[in-house]
Amino acid sequence: MYRRIGFGFLALLLVLLTACAPSTDTSSSSSSNSSSSSNSQSNPDSKSSNGDVITISWWDANTTAQEPLLKLIEDFEAANPNIKINRTYISFADLKNKLFMGAAGDQLPDIVWIDNPDFQAFAAAGILADITDKIKDWEYTEDYFEGPWSSTVYDGKNYGVPNYSNNLALFYNVDMLNEAGIEPPTNWEELKEAAKTLTKPGVYGVSASGVKTENSTFQFLPFMWQAGSDIPNFDSQGTIEAITLWKELVDNGYMSKEILTMDQQNVALQFLAGKAAMMVNGTWQIPGLTKDAKFNWDIVQLPEHKQGATNLGGFNWGITATSEHQDIAWEIIKFAEEPERKKEFLKAAGYLPARKDMIQDPFWQEDKHLKIFADNMEVARARAYGPNYPKISEAIQDVIQQVITGTKSPDEAVKEADAKIKPLLP
Amino acid sequence: MQQSDVVIEKRNTIRTVSSIFKSKRNLGNYLFLAPGLLFLMFFMIFPIFYNLLLGFQNVTLMNLRGEHEFIGLSNYINIFLDPVFKISFVNSIIFTAMCIFFQFAIGFAFALLFNMNFPGKNFLRSLLLLAWMLPMIITSTLFRWMMSGDYGVFNYFLLVLGIIDEPILWLTETSTSLLGTIIANIWIGVPFNMIILLGGLQSLPDHLYEAAKIDGASRFQQFRHITLPLMRPTILILLMLGVIYTFKVFDLIYIMTGGGPVNSSYVLPFYAFNLAFVKFDFSMGAAVATLMFVFLCIVSAIYLWFLRKEEQIH
Repeated sequence: MYRRIGFGFLALLLVLLTACAPSTDTSSSSSSNSSSSSNSQSNPDSKSSNGDVITISWWDANTTAQEPLLKLIEDFEAANPNIKINRTYISFADLKNKLFMGAAGDQLPDIVWIDNPDFQAFAAAGILADITDKIKDWEYTEDYFEGPWSSTVYDGKNYGVPNYSNNLALFYNVDMLNEAGIEPPTNWEELKEAAKTLTKPGVYGVSASGVKTENSTFQFLPFMWQAGSDIPNFDSQGTIEAITLWKELVDNGYMSKEILTMDQQNVALQFLAGKAAMMVNGTWQIPGLTKDAKFNWDIVQLPEHKQGATNLGGFNWGITATSEHQDIAWEIIKFAEEPERKKEFLKAAGYLPARKDMIQDPFWQEDKHLKIFADNMEVARARAYGPNYPKISEAIQDVIQQVITGTKSPDEAVKEADAKIKPLLP
Repeated sequence: MQQSDVVIEKRNTIRTVSSIFKSKRNLGNYLFLAPGLLFLMFFMIFPIFYNLLLGFQNVTLMNLRGEHEFIGLSNYINIFLDPVFKISFVNSIIFTAMCIFFQFAIGFAFALLFNMNFPGKNFLRSLLLLAWMLPMIITSTLFRWMMSGDYGVFNYFLLVLGIIDEPILWLTETSTSLLGTIIANIWIGVPFNMIILLGGLQSLPDHLYEAAKIDGASRFQQFRHITLPLMRPTILILLMLGVIYTFKVFDLIYIMTGGGPVNSSYVLPFYAFNLAFVKFDFSMGAAVATLMFVFLCIVSAIYLWFLRKEEQIH
């Protein structure tokens, strides 16, 4: 009896094992290979066996613009019947890890959208294809803003094309400012004054993110740039002024010390709840505020100090180095970036263009909120500091936290971070 | 397994069979093991060894797709030299010790309470289990709000009761951030301790207590000389599971403090995650994971040693 069961198990195992084995012969793929998307991508066999239909796999982390995105893909497929785009949505939090795993297991897609501060790291890791030759003859290379374009270049070579942008500005509660009888601040002195005037029991004058993630570096860098400092010369007066500004705001009670655990979304919630009169936040907060805010609000550019500056967010197009169809992938990107089509996509998605020619469109120029972000693009800088940027960013997060908690003086914290940052720069 | 072998041996001796046939029978037995073994191989043993190997290599984002060098103990040396590792290790120990102590003590008290008969007992017991059933992400977010320095309900009650004069910035002060996460984790772990201990208590024979009462033992003596010794196996397994579970804490820290401020609430799992998936030092992350694995193996070994002593007594 048990012997029969034993053989039963053996048979079962054989079935299981053969089902798991990778199908190496071409004959199996012709039998309608409709397994999962992860198996079919970058499969060189798919071309020959499926009657000249080439499958291009595509990963993105796009949640807000599903319909325009799918329309774009449909349009391309309609124009190119022999190409099929297999798009996979991957959540923003997982995208990087999926790409690592894909790189380790040779299972990368052909096309991928990557967050701009990570882009150079993926280029340096050899995950993205060098498309300098392809881009050379392209007619639109001059039309992109300097900031987003710089994030696609590594070591003098082009690894991608900016897809869309966003940036940071100062949101303010119009009702509170009117009540206090003040105008939105345009420079640091006015910011401090306004924050002081607007602070009252239960309401902080201003808010920003100081959490120990990329969020806080993203929000702090503009203040460094405004003060004339930058990451390569981190140990400078500008950095100290910037972190001292944040520290003063917190120490005086104009900004909550809780910012140390608040990401950008928490900052937006604090503002939305009427617990902060002003906040540093990005383009993507507009739809939420429009829908949920129970007060009047508006946006101005971040206050200037020595100069105006803001930080650039957004995604870039990339083609993977392992892709078998880099030329086709490039055709898809060119198709998507055609001005008229791209404008339609950006408008439907509510994104900011990364291109100078498009930003002049009334859609961005005549909307009073979008106009601020559109103007910002002139002074928006990308976090293009080479492949070690994540470690550099952590050193800056440490400065923010050390100074605001009072663990270290601005001088000391900035010096220590500078020593860490120097060897990490490209 | 032992038992089934015995049965088979018996049958084999009854029937007269050739030795070849016998070995085939054993093969059949091993086939029963095969699915489980294969599962273990693929999903437990292979990843552990791969992780071990990774810890001795220099895999970062830069050479993920290229050749990996064997670099001996460099990763481990770098980790031991990193001040954040020391903070994480000490924090992990403090976190685990504090959580286990209070979870166990409070859990035991609740278990003793619910072992008695009183109206509404079942309702209250299931209510208490809520803490265990809620997803970690919800619990952590709720605690982060409750411990908020500005609007948190923790501070509100402490101020109203006059215990503190100034609001405590639970999660944004380097001195209290770890304590804040510990309090949250104790709340989460109490129901688990209670339910396991209650299960143990309910299996204790009543007649021992009756005999003790007749002999004039006080409640405390009954607890000390009957409950505790009989509960020993339950307590041991509970403490071991608790240590492993608590030592691995990640999501709670990630959501409540993000390891901050200034690394004051870093624990080892978070440190490993940060190395591997934020700084892209995969090998360093793997090395930290290996250290944690070794530590938990030691804990398990201690448990097994206690268990053997226990079995020798009986």
